[in-house]
Amino acid sequence: MPKDKQRMKRKCEKGVMKENIQIYALMLPTLILIFIFCYIPLYGLVIAFQDYAPGASFLGEGVKWLGFKWFEKFVGGKYFFRLVKNTLVLSGLNLLFGVTAPILFAILIDQIRHHKFKKFVQTASYMPYFISTVVVAGMVISFLTTDGIVTNFLTFLGLPQKDYHIESDAFPWVYTITNVWKNFGFGSILYCSIISSIDPGLYEAAKLDGANRAQQVWHVTLPGLRTVIAINIIMAVGSVLSANTELILLLYTPATYDVADVIGTYTYRLGILEGQYSYTTAAGLFTATIGFLLTAIANKLSNKLTGYGLW
Amino acid sequence: MKRRKGIKEGNPVYTVLLYILAALTAVITLYPMYYVLILSLSEPQFAATMKVYTLPKGLNFDAYEMIIADTKMWRAYANTLLYVIPTTILMIVTSTLVAYGLNYRKLIGRKIINMYLLIPMYFSGGMIPSFLLITKLGLYDSPLSQIIPACFSIWNIILVKAYFKSIPESLSEAAKMDGAGVLQILTKIFIPLGKPIFAVVAVYTIVGVWNSWFNAMLYLPHTEWQPLQLYLRRVLVETQATITELMDAEVAKEAVRRQMSTVQLKYAMIIFSSLPVLCTYPFFQKYFVKGMVLGSLKE
Repeated sequence: MPKDKQRMKRKCEKGVMKENIQIYALMLPTLILIFIFCYIPLYGLVIAFQDYAPGASFLGEGVKWLGFKWFEKFVGGKYFFRLVKNTLVLSGLNLLFGVTAPILFAILIDQIRHHKFKKFVQTASYMPYFISTVVVAGMVISFLTTDGIVTNFLTFLGLPQKDYHIESDAFPWVYTITNVWKNFGFGSILYCSIISSIDPGLYEAAKLDGANRAQQVWHVTLPGLRTVIAINIIMAVGSVLSANTELILLLYTPATYDVADVIGTYTYRLGILEGQYSYTTAAGLFTATIGFLLTAIANKLSNKLTGYGLW
Repeated sequence: MKRRKGIKEGNPVYTVLLYILAALTAVITLYPMYYVLILSLSEPQFAATMKVYTLPKGLNFDAYEMIIADTKMWRAYANTLLYVIPTTILMIVTSTLVAYGLNYRKLIGRKIINMYLLIPMYFSGGMIPSFLLITKLGLYDSPLSQIIPACFSIWNIILVKAYFKSIPESLSEAAKMDGAGVLQILTKIFIPLGKPIFAVVAVYTIVGVWNSWFNAMLYLPHTEWQPLQLYLRRVLVETQATITELMDAEVAKEAVRRQMSTVQLKYAMIIFSSLPVLCTYPFFQKYFVKGMVLGSLKE
């Protein structure tokens, strides 16, 4: 009997081994793609510490190691302060409005009882997410020209008539409003689904305790969203140094560089357009490292304050 | 769906205010696109003033006629389709295969594979090392640069894996009893039952590739292979050139003859290029809502 069992087990193990080989064969192509396009660029970060010439190999003979020279050049450079300030201002505004808008919208939508109207407003709110960033930027630029519709509205409110697209003072708001407009509806999907899964009994209980509508939102709805809000804030804090480069590249002009140029756009101009690969890789690595540290700090804080975190 | 009571209506004044607020939000999201639409349809002399706020002034489809005659636009359009279709198919294949593997109960080295997938979600080489890699692989200036690096996504793998986990294990156990191997279980059980999640992945990928432009700008220096979004960027965003310089010479001449303003042509272009996505997204809604909810579930 025990001999039989052993044989069975061995047979089973053999089967498991065979199946594992088949499974790995299925996974391999994707795993290789991940290796090439996610891991090799990580290894490519070594050029931040070299004097890299286009076409050269990353390691081996002829590589000139420079240590932290590029980092020093970046941090000591004349644009460093401006870049960090711009990035922080734009991300800060986005953290403030971009994170709260979807939450407020989800709470508002939850109050609407008329089913069809609710569905309509929700569907409408998703629309901007599906328009491409390029088209959105094109619309914004056209609305802000001297006789664009937004400029007309601002003139109506008593502001001077001018091309607001090239106004430095206007840029942070243009950027923030565009970002919020494009993403608030889509961002509210998760909040909406969580709100609708809150136990109705909690609302009943709150009502019995005499809570009015606002108090019910405060004491029942918001605590129900606590986890997701915490996670979204951690992610937003982590990306505070990587403002929405794609949108800024489309919206900014040399006239607004003083407030709109961020680390990402600077990397694009000097790296891709001017070929300063090592220097801009160092700038990118610097940003990513601080971003990761910020995520870790925010995560730790969140774990302590709310009991939730990414890890 | 059972009806949820939730927060009870209190003061009717507040209720009305909340409805007005919601309606206002809908107006804010929809009006910019509506304004672009009515202006593109107005008579050229009114459209040029940009002061068409409620209904189109007159009705004129000339701007659309010009755009449809523009071969450069169609070339870019075709390029976008060329990128969307293979990327979407490959995305579903790559995500499914890895998700299926991770769902296999006796997988050896599962921890290592999970770690392998987790690291790139937190760390990336960034713009320049990726650019250099593409150059070294010989993908620079090649249409493949828009397909190969975009045909997998760790996020989608996790999404499909979460969905596969909800497929009862008894099904694959039973198939195994009947002598089905790894491949048969995949094709007979997981692929047929996974259709809803493939739809989610497909919708995300199609919208993502349709709207993407940044990697095309980095890797495709010549207009020949550039997708629609880069064409739109030249037309709508880069202000140095007027739109008529970018279009076909013939079409441009005709636009000038009809005194078509640049604004009207641009707005017609916005509507025309967004139409496919705008007309279909309301029907895809349930798919991306599902994706969001599935994706938020912790493993």
